[in-house]
Amino acid sequence: MATETIEVEGHIIDSLILAKVLDTILASGADYQILDVAIGRTNTDTSRAVLQVDAIDDDALNALVEVLQVHGANRVGSRDVALVACDQDGVLPAGFYSTTNLPTEVRVDGRWLPVVNPEMDCALVVAGDIVRTVPMHRVTIGDLVVVGGDGVRVHAPSKRGGLNAFEFMNSEVSSEKPKALLVARVAERLKECRARGGKILAVCGPAVVHTGAAPDIARLVRDGWIDVLFAGNGFATHDIESNVLGTSLGVSVDVGLPVEHGHSNHLRVINEVRRWGSIEAAVQGEFITGGVMYECVKRPIPFVLGGSIRDDGPLPDVHRDVVAAADAMRESIAGVEVALMLASTLHGIATGNILPAGVETFCVDINHAVLTKLADRGSHQALGIVTDVGLFTRDLCTALG
Amino acid sequence: MCPPKHFGVLYEINPWMHREVAVDVERAHDQWEGLVTLLRDAGAEVEVIDPHPDWPDMVFTANAGIVNGRQFVPSHFRNPERQGETPIFAAWFDEREYAVDHLPDELDHEGAGDALPFGNVLVSGYRWRSDAASHAVLSKLTNVAVRSVELVDERYYHLDITFCPLDDRRALVVPDAWDSYGQRVMRELVPEAIVLDADEAAMFSANSVVVGTNVVMPSCSARVGRQLEAWGFDVAVADVGEFLKAGGGVRCLTLALDVTLGA
Repeated sequence: MATETIEVEGHIIDSLILAKVLDTILASGADYQILDVAIGRTNTDTSRAVLQVDAIDDDALNALVEVLQVHGANRVGSRDVALVACDQDGVLPAGFYSTTNLPTEVRVDGRWLPVVNPEMDCALVVAGDIVRTVPMHRVTIGDLVVVGGDGVRVHAPSKRGGLNAFEFMNSEVSSEKPKALLVARVAERLKECRARGGKILAVCGPAVVHTGAAPDIARLVRDGWIDVLFAGNGFATHDIESNVLGTSLGVSVDVGLPVEHGHSNHLRVINEVRRWGSIEAAVQGEFITGGVMYECVKRPIPFVLGGSIRDDGPLPDVHRDVVAAADAMRESIAGVEVALMLASTLHGIATGNILPAGVETFCVDINHAVLTKLADRGSHQALGIVTDVGLFTRDLCTALG
Repeated sequence: MCPPKHFGVLYEINPWMHREVAVDVERAHDQWEGLVTLLRDAGAEVEVIDPHPDWPDMVFTANAGIVNGRQFVPSHFRNPERQGETPIFAAWFDEREYAVDHLPDELDHEGAGDALPFGNVLVSGYRWRSDAASHAVLSKLTNVAVRSVELVDERYYHLDITFCPLDDRRALVVPDAWDSYGQRVMRELVPEAIVLDADEAAMFSANSVVVGTNVVMPSCSARVGRQLEAWGFDVAVADVGEFLKAGGGVRCLTLALDVTLGA
């Protein structure tokens, strides 16, 4: 299927030009959607219609567009993109096109090329037939960057097959929806994703450990339900602390009470892992014998731990350079089709920033504001589930069997 | 009007033109003078532009552009053989203090040859010589509503060989030269029409000039003449046979200057 947006302007109603254009499209076997019609307000005002034309393939579309041009209908944005070469590493040309996370195409030498890796708030770099999103800091001298909006088209999000299951929830955030049903639906999506060979990403905050959900997440990793893990120093630390010392931030995960001198437990654990040199080495040395990080090393699956200014330690695996952390995350998301964001504000939003809009994203948090933040930052594909992450994860594990 | 000093069929840009058919220059000149006389007799004043040796088709001043009161929109010719006429005509109007407004370079439109006012709208043809997309621009430049009509027969490559407005209600029409949408638009627009048959159309009967109630025509069948007279018009036939060799008739040889669009 090939698609083109065309516009036709003039006294197109009274001259029957619009009728002729529409008839011509249908007669050719193509189809149209009227995207916009602005009718002239007075007799002398012109009218303007914008149509999306869908033909069976590029050849049919080009032949049809040629015919329509005779009647004054022209491609919208039919110019090629303007490209300007970077003259400084890490600095974009002024007027650079700033991306969305939606599927995007770029017209180069008259051909529409898809953007390989949609990501919001990036620039578009064209190299031959390949168009990629590139974040500002990664452009280098000579990269050809798209400037202006000509020759760029963005496709509105399309409903993926089966997503209709969620249509009953019109609101994006679901504090007042039946949770059991939501959990069952999320489980279905994970099963479908795994069945078609897609990857599942989990983004975990420390509350996952505090609420006692870490063993369930560990099981999901072990059973192959999670293919990539993003977290921070806190989650990894408390996961290891709870396995090595039985506490999470000094609180016993079994009886829920603070233990004596427990406030320094996480520091002692970090210190020992630093002595081992890496989480993997600590696992191999049997210092860590269970938990989420243990399962990640054992299976193995890639994990990215991004640091922050308030980290203790941090663990040796934690990226201390946030830009490098984001790049490491970018490199790990290829093939991800479903993302689970579990009680994580900062890492959840950071992940939302780099995911294409096509990735089904479920964001679980007890705090409604986190879900709103995510949507406000452009991750409109995210479905928010307001609930306790411990209960959610336990139910999800049960539903996945 | 433009005297046929340099006129001849030197190239072929429409199906009527054949370079092997020689134009009798003297005869063409006599015919042109005869037409001027007929037009003056009909009550017209005739202004003349100097011919240019490089542009033989300048005699067809209808294609100079569109006149709207004191505004002039020069043509943007499709064929390079005529493109040199544009600056000459534009200069003529500029010297006479018309506001000269140009079409964008990428859009073709061949002036009054493809645009004739009828009632308060401007009927404009497209396909062979003018781009449909030019109509919206023209409308904005002149602030008049346009009715676009697709011309489907290459012999009738300009609107003014297929349509001759007589007054606010009546016109000579050649519907077979229009596509079905154009036919519907024109049926709505023109309450009373004389539909020319194939022979009458091929004799360029629609390429006529109306001055008041006088109609000066390249040819007129008895049937059409009777109907015109019944409507109160006086018909005069001008022999423009030498110009028909180049695909132009009476209307093509003139550009009306007393036009205000939308009035």
